[in-house]
Amino acid sequence: MTYAQKMVRAVAVSTALMCVSGNVHAQWKPTKTVDMIVHTGPGGGSDLLARVIATMMEKEKLLPVRMQVLNRAGGNGAVAAAAIAERKDDPHTIGLVTSVWIAGPLTSSEAKVTLHDLKPVAGLLMDPAVFAVRADSPYKTLREFIEAAKAQPGQLKQSGGSVTSRDNIIRQSLQAATGARWAFVSFPGGGERVAALLGGHVDIMVIEPQEAGEQVRAGKMRVLAQLSDRPLPGYPGVPTLKEAGYDVKATPQIRAVVAPPGVSNEVVAYWEDLFAKLRATPSWKKYVEDNQLEDHFTNSAELSKMIKQIEDELRTQYQAAGIKVVR
Amino acid sequence: MDTLSGLLQGFDVALSGTNLAMCIVGVLLGTVIGVLPGLGPPATIAMLLPLTMRLEPTGAMIMLAGIYYGAKYGGSTTSILLNVPGESASVVTCLDGYQMARKGRAGAALGISAIASFIAGTLGVVGLMLIAPPLAQLSLAFSAPEYFALMVIGLAMVVLLSGESLTKGLLAMLVGLWIATMGTDLFSATSRFTFGQTALLGGIDFIVVAIGIFAIGEVLANMEPQEPAGMLPVPKGLKNLLPTWQDMKDCRFAFVNGSLVGFIVGILPGAGSTIASFLSYGIEKAVSKHPEKFGTGAIEGVAAPEGANNAETAGSLVPLLTLGIPGSGTTAILLAALVLWGFKPGPLFISDTPALFWGLVASMYIGNVMLLILNLPLVAVFAQLLKIPAYAMYPLILGMALVGVYSDSSSMFKLGLLALFGALGYAMRKLHYPAAPLVLGLVLGDAMERALRQSLMMSQGDISILFRPIPAGLLLVAAVLLIVPLFKKFNAMRVQVLDQKA
Repeated sequence: MTYAQKMVRAVAVSTALMCVSGNVHAQWKPTKTVDMIVHTGPGGGSDLLARVIATMMEKEKLLPVRMQVLNRAGGNGAVAAAAIAERKDDPHTIGLVTSVWIAGPLTSSEAKVTLHDLKPVAGLLMDPAVFAVRADSPYKTLREFIEAAKAQPGQLKQSGGSVTSRDNIIRQSLQAATGARWAFVSFPGGGERVAALLGGHVDIMVIEPQEAGEQVRAGKMRVLAQLSDRPLPGYPGVPTLKEAGYDVKATPQIRAVVAPPGVSNEVVAYWEDLFAKLRATPSWKKYVEDNQLEDHFTNSAELSKMIKQIEDELRTQYQAAGIKVVR
Repeated sequence: MDTLSGLLQGFDVALSGTNLAMCIVGVLLGTVIGVLPGLGPPATIAMLLPLTMRLEPTGAMIMLAGIYYGAKYGGSTTSILLNVPGESASVVTCLDGYQMARKGRAGAALGISAIASFIAGTLGVVGLMLIAPPLAQLSLAFSAPEYFALMVIGLAMVVLLSGESLTKGLLAMLVGLWIATMGTDLFSATSRFTFGQTALLGGIDFIVVAIGIFAIGEVLANMEPQEPAGMLPVPKGLKNLLPTWQDMKDCRFAFVNGSLVGFIVGILPGAGSTIASFLSYGIEKAVSKHPEKFGTGAIEGVAAPEGANNAETAGSLVPLLTLGIPGSGTTAILLAALVLWGFKPGPLFISDTPALFWGLVASMYIGNVMLLILNLPLVAVFAQLLKIPAYAMYPLILGMALVGVYSDSSSMFKLGLLALFGALGYAMRKLHYPAAPLVLGLVLGDAMERALRQSLMMSQGDISILFRPIPAGLLLVAAVLLIVPLFKKFNAMRVQVLDQKA
């Protein structure tokens, strides 16, 4: 997309937002503490983002009431999704979701509530990621790594999350596209994945750009490629997957807001508008920049479409990777 | 190195009025949330995160760290007095701490846990200050096979924790291992033993099981009309409450053991203070001259784990501050806080921001002294709790247990689980099954399975990866732990046979 096209789109989106906010002007407002439900325990990615959002809401005086974070950890979002569904019709509850909430129900029949059962409110961010190796690794480019993996099938290793995580899906896609084969070792925490790479126990990993940036600055890591379609400002000269010569799709990792089923359109519009305002604040812009995230605001209708699209993509990718899909 | 000048600079920072006040607030808050079962440091620090955004970062970091290590001081209180672990790291303190309280030595137990916490906490900070960078390399050298071997040592300790019957201990451990497998499997994202329940997808919380089996089980067992349930004896006067000189001498090794084990386990990402406290308890019992006294109120059995969980705090800050790698939920929040304040946690963090690092180190020395001063007089106050008659005491324990579990999760399902494990704890007591091996299996099961599967994924199924030097050494230790008691038993039998022949 060219710059001009981007500008046109940005103007269109903001005009649309203005219309939305104009329509619902001062109709519904929260009157008591708002609960924001997240699917990780204290210290997890969503938990921390939710607390940052709550802090900004207060600092920028966007919300007339307090916002508190409730942790409903477990089952890749299933426990949190059930907790939100249980609060049917409650306008004072929202949930902060990620692509994990889409992936979880696809592979777990116990996850009875899916994102389709909840009301999409607004998309906030995309999590970009990069492929990184140790600084003393022999692989200078992604191609070199993949060629080495081809030459010695299964010998090279990648640290990551569960098999349904983006880390593994991108590995599966690259393997399918190139015929190379390398092992995938699951670790529950991001810290352990980094420790495994720095300690020389694995050869490559998918890591968040901000985290990788500090390791690169200290001369401990080298970044081979970025998983986002749009190049990250913090990584000039690092090729995207396509630029590196691999036309595989990295399913986007979204961070978005949902509401319980049954809440009125008025309430959804209020939240949509509130997060649009949040996104325009300097605090939010600084946070996005500091953490090298990708600002990606979508309204309720767009988010709904996006969830469906990601779900379809994931289903195809899981089936291709031989992961059992239950719905 | 310029450790001394760094430390001087640090004390300069930490002794400023605001930072001192921050330190006091942190350790006080930490002690309080440590005493309350259920509410732990990760949840508290996360809740305070928005507030700290308005504070000056060094002061805020000093306060958050104060909460982290302060909670380890407070955690033992309810374990000793009520058999309700205040923190998951204080579960093992129940074993001997509560027995000491029943024998009228609650004051000594509370006192020794404060002293052990102080010694190990301070030694931990010394370690953090002097040898953080080389130790950080150790944390990287440890990989899945090494973790696996460490967990095997932990499980071998079941021999030490099972009391009279090893068979019963092993059975209890297997139940613990089984419970540990429940929930969503990390590797395949499939669910195991969830019985179609969404609420079980997250697995079963360790602290719910521990509170159920220890606290609820204890209350149920005490409700039976056996002897007239009298009040527990509490000696008068602070002097009689505190540990004696003999106690201190008995605990000499426990202090060292707790400090070392706690610090080393703390450095390893993903191991955690609960494992540290169990390991140091096991080592203490294994080397003790009177292992039979453990579980009936041995003071070393309180000192070692309480020391370990404090040294663990300092240890866990090593990978965080030197490598930018968080090894636990609490350190992950601290990392996020640093990023939010505009710092760049990573390998260059200390050289980029020496004032913050040294200020934090200095504040931890100060904080540990404060905690000791704060906790020793409190011993007298807390010990009076035991004067409460049984008809008020047991409802109090039940209430603490229920509130603790509910406040953490607001989940009725977990209260149901609590009741279930309470009943299990009662049944195990009646049938003379030891509770500790079950809890141990639950703590270690998850981490051990994970380490084994990671190892085999790394080696493409070749089991020899488990026998490279470090894990092989650790596995040998585990084997010795398992075999020695068998020899003792065999010897005892042989003596018996010889006696009969004679």
